[in-house]
Amino acid sequence: MKKLLSLAALALLAACEPSAPPPDAYHPSKIDLKSPPAKVTAERHSGAFAEGSALSMGAELKKLDPSPVKTVRLDTTHKVIEIAPGVKFSAWTFGDQVPGPTVRARVGDRIKFVMTNRSDEPAPMPQVVAAPMMHSMDFHAAMVSPQDKYRSIAPGQTIEFEFTANYPGVFMYHCGTPMILEHIASGMYGAVIVEPRGGYPTKADREYIVIQSEFYAKPTKQKVDGAPLYVLDGERLRAAQPTHTVFNGRHNGMVTSPLAARPGERVRMFVLNVGPSKTSSFHVVGTIFDRVWIEGNPDNQLRGMQTVLLGSSNSAIVEYLIPEEGSYIMVDHHFANASQGAIGLVSTEAKPPAKDLEHHNMPASATPTDPDAVAGKLAFESKCLACHSVGGGRKLGPDIAGVTKRRDAAWLTRWLKEPEKMLQTDAAAKAMLKEYNNIPMPNQSLSDAEIKQYLKYFEWIDKQPAGAVKAQGGH
Amino acid sequence: MRAAVTVAGLLLSLQAFACGYCVEDKIAATYDHAVITRALASGHHVVFFHVDGAPVSRAVLEQAASGRGIEKGSARISPDMLTLSVAFDPRRISLVELNAALDRKLAKHKASLLALRVMERPADLAAVKR
Repeated sequence: MKKLLSLAALALLAACEPSAPPPDAYHPSKIDLKSPPAKVTAERHSGAFAEGSALSMGAELKKLDPSPVKTVRLDTTHKVIEIAPGVKFSAWTFGDQVPGPTVRARVGDRIKFVMTNRSDEPAPMPQVVAAPMMHSMDFHAAMVSPQDKYRSIAPGQTIEFEFTANYPGVFMYHCGTPMILEHIASGMYGAVIVEPRGGYPTKADREYIVIQSEFYAKPTKQKVDGAPLYVLDGERLRAAQPTHTVFNGRHNGMVTSPLAARPGERVRMFVLNVGPSKTSSFHVVGTIFDRVWIEGNPDNQLRGMQTVLLGSSNSAIVEYLIPEEGSYIMVDHHFANASQGAIGLVSTEAKPPAKDLEHHNMPASATPTDPDAVAGKLAFESKCLACHSVGGGRKLGPDIAGVTKRRDAAWLTRWLKEPEKMLQTDAAAKAMLKEYNNIPMPNQSLSDAEIKQYLKYFEWIDKQPAGAVKAQGGH
Repeated sequence: MRAAVTVAGLLLSLQAFACGYCVEDKIAATYDHAVITRALASGHHVVFFHVDGAPVSRAVLEQAASGRGIEKGSARISPDMLTLSVAFDPRRISLVELNAALDRKLAKHKASLLALRVMERPADLAAVKR
């Protein structure tokens, strides 16, 4: 009897003991830090600028390549890219595109990386690309000695190194050569997605990557296809005053080419804010993030989020349902950033993007070349398309096509400057208010310089052949 | 012996500098592709130095980086990264002689130069043999 009581007491004690903690996925015994010294040679690669089955070139992500070894080549180049209609920017790249291709791997995978500095290769327009210079690669997904693996290499040199992906996440990569700020702001960045060893805990119907970044561009007297060449504006860069804040390298790029999804589908979006100097408050209008995995690691889970705040080089995976037919607007909810181009659409009306389409090589629509008109176009597309179209007919307000033929510059200037005063004193303004259901034009607090830019854009529109310029917003 | 230890310590510290201060980053600060292309085409070499000792101005380094065997207009200076590079004609002056000559000019400013890498052919940043 005494024995029985003792056993019962032992059993009770055992039941009261806390259960053993789950095994630590990041225990040092599971972390692979083996990485042979980097090799630098004078062997110049002359094939494709980006190679590897783990690479995705655009927003739509390829499925994980099951191979445990990922061989990745990302060569550096200097080229001119179009960051906004008519804004041809002298960029520095990984894999000849901005952002660089996305690398996709899984925890435990070995990444074998090779990069040739090809910034000295002849470009189609040698006079407008930056002079060759040293570059390097800094993978935030790696745990290695920066002095060995991330060393800068000269034009014509090749560096090779390898590492194991130990933590799941969405990690930035970038050039780490001084001045790092200039190298990142010139386009040298991209993402590495590392999936958990056992995959994600949910099943998604669509997977996209969205990389937010800033450009600091100023026009020069040099021309590219008749348009001014834009170069890095060092003063704005150091003051953290971008001219463009964009998703996937292009102002309003995913408005003109929305990402596809169907009602009821679950979208998994890998979001990385590259910066280099601004935060992002990422939001998708009309949805709630069912899950947010901060830094792209499901161990860092939040539920039911409206936005996710990302500092420079922060990331998250957000998952949400598409509730019904419509266009769901991705924005940086710091609206000053959104107004500079950090806008995109996930739309049930969109066709899936063409595979591996290099976004900045997409054919451009007719666009002005005068810097004032370009600035006016960008401002108009950011602030005015909700109520006005260009060549698409009337919306809440008049169609802008033909406006400079209907009104003179002085009238338009006064209208843009003080619409509320015009509505009290000007007969034409009063008639227009009545015609448009008494919805007044809001005062946008535009400066004289901004009004001049709008007018330059409107004048440019009206000089184009009828129907050649079209712009319509969706929100 | 003490000098050897000092040199070894300096080399170690150069390797261990934080982001932006490893040897290649210092070289990147004064790397000028046009200077290098022109120099190598003429059979000249380009050497990259770490500027050691007391802080010296750009003007002092500019003034020092001239003389026998140094290619005119080839000096590139980064005061922030403490780096100086010059192209020189190895037929007129050896790297050791060049280093010593520049050190003599900088001695009164309590500064000296440590050769980090030399470029004798394209895409080859060779370590300097001591």
